[in-house]
This record gives sequence, structure tokens and C-alpha cells, in this order.
Amino acid sequence: MESIGLAEELAAAERGAAAPYIDYPPSPWWYAPSIGAWAAAMIGTFTWWRENVGLFVVSLAALIAVEILFVVWMQRRHGALPMPGKGTPPVEIARMWREYVASLPVVALIVGLVWWLVGVPAAAGTAFVLVTAGLAFYERRYAVAAAATRARLR
Amino acid sequence: MIDGLDPIIHVPKRLAAMAVLANAPSVSFRFLKDHLQISESDLSKQMSALEAAGYVSSTKVGRGRGGSTTYRMTQAGQKAYEQHRSALLALIHAT
Repeated sequence: MESIGLAEELAAAERGAAAPYIDYPPSPWWYAPSIGAWAAAMIGTFTWWRENVGLFVVSLAALIAVEILFVVWMQRRHGALPMPGKGTPPVEIARMWREYVASLPVVALIVGLVWWLVGVPAAAGTAFVLVTAGLAFYERRYAVAAAATRARLR
Repeated sequence: MIDGLDPIIHVPKRLAAMAVLANAPSVSFRFLKDHLQISESDLSKQMSALEAAGYVSSTKVGRGRGGSTTYRMTQAGQKAYEQHRSALLALIHAT
């Protein structure tokens, strides 16, 4: 077998492996604020924690159901939504994912501090702002990383 | 097997499809068609070959124009894909 043919085949496999990470429909404008609102609502449910356990549990379950429906919708819309633990992301995307995961404890720490110092409503507001802004920033950087991957694999 | 390569996966269109499937829990027919840039009938044929080999499973939801098909890679498919890719890399480095 000719090595050029094999190299082309491997290149096609590399492009295929990268496709779920770099071929995706543009995120709608409401994506980041919706996730921010979801995070805020998740924290907001804790206002019921001591007052009404039933309401707290129902709110929490409803928010988890919304999240599941959202992921199913994302999967259908994308067609090949990548998930951590399945496959190997391109180096550019793997770096983005690492940074994203590293930022989560920082956001949690800030929200936790606000919760402790000011209270649940303020923590929910902080979560909305941080998650919305963080996701919008992440989306922009991800697009740059995806473009770099596309250029490398062209 | 030829030089450690899997003849089912060695077909470039199938290898590319397997590479996509190895990186997402489920992949739609449309995504594969757009990525591979082949006709629906050709993609159906290639995916049927992978299904017959036990490398892929499919799920159909609905019928007609609104219907959709999604594919998942099986454990046997995952193993076969990884072996094929390793053999491909070994052959390239050997030449």
C-alpha cells in the first residue's frame, strides 16, 4: 500500500474525529443568558430550603428536567454533540475544555462567598451575571479554537 | 485483515464515519451526510455495512420527511476502530 494513500486516509479520519467539535450550528443569542438564568434559578430554589421542602424539591426536579430536555434539544440540533469522556477532542478544543473546567470552581467560590455574606437572592444574581458573561466569553474563544482546528486539518 | 487493517473500516467513507462516531455519543444521519458529502443512498449503504459488521447501531424516530435516524458506535466498533487506526499509524510510520 502506498504511504500517500494511507496518509490521506488517516487525514480523513482526523477530520472525521474533529467534526463533532468543529462543525456545529451557531449558538442562538439567548443561549448564554438562558444558562445564566438556569444557574440563577438553581440557586434561587434554595430560598425554599427551610420554608417549604416540598416546593424546594419540586423546583429542583423541574430545573433538572429542563436541563435534560435542553441537552436532548442540543443533541438533535447539533447532530453529533461531543461529550466529555467520549472520544478525543482536538488539542485546541481540549485546551478550551480544560480552561472551562478550571473556571467552574472559581465561579462556584465567588457565588458561595456572595451567598454566605449577602444571601441567596444576591448569589442567584451573581450566578446569572457570571455564568452568562463566562459562557459568552467561552463561546467566542471556542469559535477561535474551532477555526484554528479547521485550518490545521484542511 | 490486510496488514492489520480492517477491510470493513478501510473504505475511506466508512473510516471517516467511524471517526465521527467515536467522538460523539450519537450522530445523526444528516450530520454524517453533510460531513462526508455523499448522497443519502450511498451513506445508507455504507452505514448498513457497518451495522452488518456489528460496529454501529441505529435508531429511527418517526417516518417519512420528519423522521430521523441516529447512529451509535458499539463496543465492538470502538475496538475495531482503535485497532484499525493504530494499524494505519504503524504502517505510515513504517513506510
